[in-house]
Amino acid sequence: MIRFENVGLRYGLGPEVLRDVDFHLVRGSFHFLTGPSGAGKTSLLRLLLMSLRPSRGLIHLFGQNCADLPSPERADLRRRIGIVFQDFRLLDHLTTWENVALPLRVFGKSEASYSEDVTDLLKWVGLGDRMTAYPEVLSGGEKQRAAIARAVIGKPELLLADEPTGNVDPNMANRLLRLFIELNRLGTSVIIATHDFQLMDQCDAPRMVLNEGNLEVR
Amino acid sequence: MKEILKFDNIKAYWAETVTASPWVAVIRSLVRREARAMSAPIVQPASVAGRALTVVIAIMCFLACLTAGAVYIVNQSANDWFADIASEVTVQVIPVEAAEFEKKVTLVSLFLAKQAGIVKVSPLSAEESGELLKPWLGNSDALSALPVPRLIAVEIDRASPPDMSVVRRALESNFRDVTLDDHRRWQSELRTVTRSMALGGFAVLILVGAATVASIVSATKSAMASNREIIEVLHFVGARERFIAHEFEKHFLNIGVRAGLVGALGASVMFLLLPVVMRVLSGGGLAAAEFRQLVGSAVLDWQGYLLFGAVVVVVASLCMLTSRYGVYRILKSHD
Ligand SMILES: Nc1ncnc2c1ncn2[C@@H]1O[C@H](COP(=O)(O)OP(=O)(O)O)[C@@H](O)[C@H]1O
Ligand SMILES: [Mg+2]
Repeated sequence: MIRFENVGLRYGLGPEVLRDVDFHLVRGSFHFLTGPSGAGKTSLLRLLLMSLRPSRGLIHLFGQNCADLPSPERADLRRRIGIVFQDFRLLDHLTTWENVALPLRVFGKSEASYSEDVTDLLKWVGLGDRMTAYPEVLSGGEKQRAAIARAVIGKPELLLADEPTGNVDPNMANRLLRLFIELNRLGTSVIIATHDFQLMDQCDAPRMVLNEGNLEVR
Repeated sequence: MKEILKFDNIKAYWAETVTASPWVAVIRSLVRREARAMSAPIVQPASVAGRALTVVIAIMCFLACLTAGAVYIVNQSANDWFADIASEVTVQVIPVEAAEFEKKVTLVSLFLAKQAGIVKVSPLSAEESGELLKPWLGNSDALSALPVPRLIAVEIDRASPPDMSVVRRALESNFRDVTLDDHRRWQSELRTVTRSMALGGFAVLILVGAATVASIVSATKSAMASNREIIEVLHFVGARERFIAHEFEKHFLNIGVRAGLVGALGASVMFLLLPVVMRVLSGGGLAAAEFRQLVGSAVLDWQGYLLFGAVVVVVASLCMLTSRYGVYRILKSHD
């Protein structure tokens, strides 16, 4: 489903952040993406989301070469990917409910058609009583779950999460991990970027380790 | 060929290009309250930068309308003035043989009335001609003793004016000591004044226009900067560029039209009050008449108000296009 071939990435004229990255992920897989801070985890996720273009190499997403695609088609591919940002990136002027519903709204669906799904999902992630609250007043863990709900509301085929447990206590981290495993069981491929070994030890999933720009899958 | 003309295709074209235009959306929202969706608009309706933009647009639109209106009025009254002067010529009959003088004036008048393109011929009586000289000669008996030239005011048809040189030649070949003054020198001077007034007005208009463009573009840009987060998030959840641009165009066009209308309305009130203010300032009577002669009626006609509409359209479009440009600029760094 995802294939990287000799992918290299540098920002501007800086050093190569990623070097000869080669891997292939199949549908329904579950991976951790790890490495020390500054190793390039976020950069790799941005490549997957097509928010960056590689300096060299090829990236195939869902069987298509991303480099050749015109902008509208890249947007359509993005709709098949859900992303949880490290800093959540919820919109402050929208309620939790509206934030979670945003992707469906962007896809052009009518509010009536998704209203129930959004409410159900929010209840499922334990935000049933925070639906009308604005992000400002949510706790770190609540924001995290709202961001995850927004990432999965469009039933993505691939879910990317950047340090999803960075801002929560170990107990909440566990619950969130279970949420990702559940989504994976329902058929979504998952990549979780984290440097939290405690979290990775909780489940027996392959690790993609980034070190000095090189990627190794263990 | 048949395919293209199908009604469904036309309907689809209409739906895609016309009703999808942000102008349609904004005009619709002005005319009637849209059935509001439950959700808040995607673009934040009232940010601090947005309010600052509203104020800037309203003020600049007000100033631009004031300038445009003033230049329009000045041009208009200069044109009226010019037309009045141009539609009159004067014929002067010099008294040489005193006995035949009255008869000669009548003959010249009749001759002029026969010429094509002349609407009205009014010879001034001896008393009226004397009146004109009074300011120079004083109220003395000397006046009646002097051979005062007689003036004939000739009003020409503005729609089809006669060729003045032909009329002059005809006059000179038929009568002696008769001169025609078509105010040419006065006209050409007036034309220069009118032209420089118009040029000055346009120069001011261009300056105000440039200031309006610059301040609206920069205020829109700073309002867009505060929307960067929204643009990026929309992009990451899979919104197409066109969708994002359209959302912002709608939002900024809305601000532009509403704030622009406020500014234009303010300027309209000023112009509606202007004749009243002028009457109060000039204190009525003779002074008022002179004042009016100087600046024209100071009344803006409907075409002048149409000009305000054009200012609002330009200002709102500017706002919309700048936001659109801002969206694409931000998206370029992410795709
Ligand atoms: N937008 C950017 N411009 C320039 N350098 C960047 C940018 N983003 C990240 N980097 C650099 O790329 C390297 C990898 O960063 P990142 O992918 O954020 O690592 P991680 O997520 O693993 O901490 C770092 O050295 C960082 O300074
Ligand atoms: Mg990171």
